[in-house]
Amino acid sequence: MIQLRGVTKSYNGTIKAVDQLNLDVPKGEIFGFLGPNGAGKTTTIKMVTGIIRPDAGEITINGKNIATDTLEAKRQFGYVPDSPDLFLRLKGLEYLRFMADIYEVPQQLRKERIQQLAKRFDMSDALGDTIQSYSHGMRQKIMIMGVLVHHPEVWILDEPLTGLDPKSSFTLKEMMREHADSGRTVFFSTHVLEVAEKLCDRVAIINKGKILFCGTFPEMQQHFQSNHSLESLFLELTKHE
Amino acid sequence: MNKVLLLTKIMLKNAGSSLGSKKGSGWKTLLILLAIGVGLIPLMAALVVFVAGLYDGLAQIGQEGALLGLGIAGTSLAIFLLGIVYVLSVFYFSQDVEHFLPMPIAPGEILGAKFLVALLYEYLTALTMIAPIFITYGVKSGGGFLYYLFALLVFVALPVIPLTLAILLVMVFMRYTNIGKYKDRFRLLGGLIAIAGGLGFQAFVQRQTSGTDSSVEQLQQMIAAGEQGLLGIVTKLFPASKLGALAILESSTWSGFANLLGFFAIAVAGLLLFLWVGNRLYFSGVMGISESRAKRKKIDEAAFQKGIRPRSMWLAYADKEWKVLWRTPAFFMNCALSSIFFPLFGLVPLLSRQDSAELLASLSGWLQGGHMGGISLVVAFSAFVVMASTNSTSITAITREGQGIFLSKTLPIPAGQLLVAKLIPGTLLSVISMALLVAEAAWFIQLPSLFIILAVVVGIPGILFVNLLGLILDLQMPKLEWGSEQEAVKQNLNPLFSMLMGMVTAALCIVLAFSLEASLLQMGVGLFVLFVLADLFLFRLLLRKGPSWLEKMEG
Ligand SMILES: Nc1ncnc2c1ncn2[C@@H]1O[C@H](COP(=O)(O)OP(=O)(O)O)[C@@H](O)[C@H]1O
Ligand SMILES: [Mg+2]
Repeated sequence: MIQLRGVTKSYNGTIKAVDQLNLDVPKGEIFGFLGPNGAGKTTTIKMVTGIIRPDAGEITINGKNIATDTLEAKRQFGYVPDSPDLFLRLKGLEYLRFMADIYEVPQQLRKERIQQLAKRFDMSDALGDTIQSYSHGMRQKIMIMGVLVHHPEVWILDEPLTGLDPKSSFTLKEMMREHADSGRTVFFSTHVLEVAEKLCDRVAIINKGKILFCGTFPEMQQHFQSNHSLESLFLELTKHE
Repeated sequence: MNKVLLLTKIMLKNAGSSLGSKKGSGWKTLLILLAIGVGLIPLMAALVVFVAGLYDGLAQIGQEGALLGLGIAGTSLAIFLLGIVYVLSVFYFSQDVEHFLPMPIAPGEILGAKFLVALLYEYLTALTMIAPIFITYGVKSGGGFLYYLFALLVFVALPVIPLTLAILLVMVFMRYTNIGKYKDRFRLLGGLIAIAGGLGFQAFVQRQTSGTDSSVEQLQQMIAAGEQGLLGIVTKLFPASKLGALAILESSTWSGFANLLGFFAIAVAGLLLFLWVGNRLYFSGVMGISESRAKRKKIDEAAFQKGIRPRSMWLAYADKEWKVLWRTPAFFMNCALSSIFFPLFGLVPLLSRQDSAELLASLSGWLQGGHMGGISLVVAFSAFVVMASTNSTSITAITREGQGIFLSKTLPIPAGQLLVAKLIPGTLLSVISMALLVAEAAWFIQLPSLFIILAVVVGIPGILFVNLLGLILDLQMPKLEWGSEQEAVKQNLNPLFSMLMGMVTAALCIVLAFSLEASLLQMGVGLFVLFVLADLFLFRLLLRKGPSWLEKMEG
């Protein structure tokens, strides 16, 4: 569960990248955070994960405030950044061990999880090589594995589906579904609407730092009194200004 | 040609981004340049005094002209040796070629721009060496306008030949090692051999001149003796130096002009050779420099079990830092390697001097005798501190992580543990250097064991002090936006500050020691208490303020 209350952030004091955001991401659902390029999705996610501080407002993750109860809040979530070009000099397995150490996953559990994840993502043969030798998609997969090895309550992903091949993309979506169905939270940003329409239980549409709509897809159709696709509603919503 | 200049500007801008990345930091840039300038003044002053003395002596036997040849040849040698390092970093480790290749730019233009960047660095290097020589000579010999004009022209052409030689050497090496699975390691080894070769050469030259103590009179005799000794070796290595020297000497005659033309012709020939060879060797050598080895083989069960054994958070983080440091060539060369080579540098003069045995024997007697013990301990301590401050591991601990630091901020590791983990690699490397230095000294000099123990006991807090200071400084002004790893460590001025602080600390300690005249034991206890207290203070500062400094880094 993630809660944002009145969250505001501006860069260099000029443009408001995120403006008075209120958002509730419930448990047990896949929540899609949609918006065009530059809408403020990454900025929001960076505030939720503690990378940047909001100018105003409050953020809690499973009830733990990221600003005041930082460590507890950080233990609640796992974050997959939009750029996977990190830890390149480590070998795949070394990275997974690093993550398991930081999140204090016991030996037996980390072993089972790594083996299972490697199998599902078809990465068993790559774990002994440095991440630098991986393709873009493989780098994404190792970052995702690094998060799932500690089984977070809240799973936060920034543009996770760009760059994955069809099979890995399918596997990831399957995992997101399992994660939500086990009563935990999935929060991800995307600008790919076809995916969102099929995958998400609930979406929020953000443009220029403001939430334009938040709810389920049927609610959205009802709200606009049309049976158009998410794509045309989205284009309609973000067209103005 | 326009494109070449444009490219050069872009490359220099990337390189200089640490100088002027933030707006309104013009005064800071100025201050830094001023600091560098002030740091060089004593060196240049010493050079002027030396050259002036040499001139007077040589003028008596009418050989003062040899001075110019020696200066040009010596500068060429320095340019060549430094050129190897510049070329490696500008041509091979800057990793921008892969961005330029897809653009509508001819390969020759990329080569030309890179050459200009390296040349610019070389001009700055050459200026600090040759300007004092030319000017001192000019003043002493009463040179006219033509003298200075010719000197300037020789200066312009001077770096081209040694730089070309350095480029050719490196290009051939990189081209024929860009193969096979162990490329990374092979190249590192090559780098090591090149540096060792440079050191060996230095030792060789010193041995040639050994016994002479390179004092002014001896050098004069050597020059007077003609093509033997140091001058012979160096001018044989760079035969064109003679043309350059003759050009300046005979600047008022046609023969001087002819010599100048010859000097330029050789430089142009070098340039053409560079372009010809570069077009053939450079791109095949630089392509895939960021590739790495991959086996794509399943890890066997035992290795897997071992490879995932749990560790505490700070240990996991420190281990990650350590691995990245050793596996990234740019970090390895700039951080890890220097801690091994710095102590070895000290060996060169010891090994190359024939009279070093007597010198060392007298030194060891001096050490054991009474009140000089305290001062020698401070000297050893200062050596450790300076050595630790020239190691840029801790001063780049945050910077080296780059954008990765933001992912680290999302991890539930207490900031204090993260900072301690960041402190470990640099401190460990400095301790290794200290151990090497102590072992070396104990091998050559009869050191009292009390002295050794005390040196290590005070050395550790001293090393910790420098590393703490470095990490705290890097936390204040990390340079997180870099395109290549090379940029993070090379085009970054923080290491310079660290070095400066180390030298100031060492100088203060030495001044204090001379004014106190304490015994060995007194000095040991004093230094230990002083620096343990300073460490405690800095450590507290790091743990109390460090987390909020980290917090403030946003990206
Ligand atoms: N580090 C930064 N400095 C200045 N402006 C930024 C920075 N990061 C993002 N912005 C601006 O904030 C706005 C939102 O960006 P972002 O959150 O990255 O959008 P999205 O992820 O939705 O594409 C954009 O206008 C962008 O230009
Ligand atoms: Mg984004």
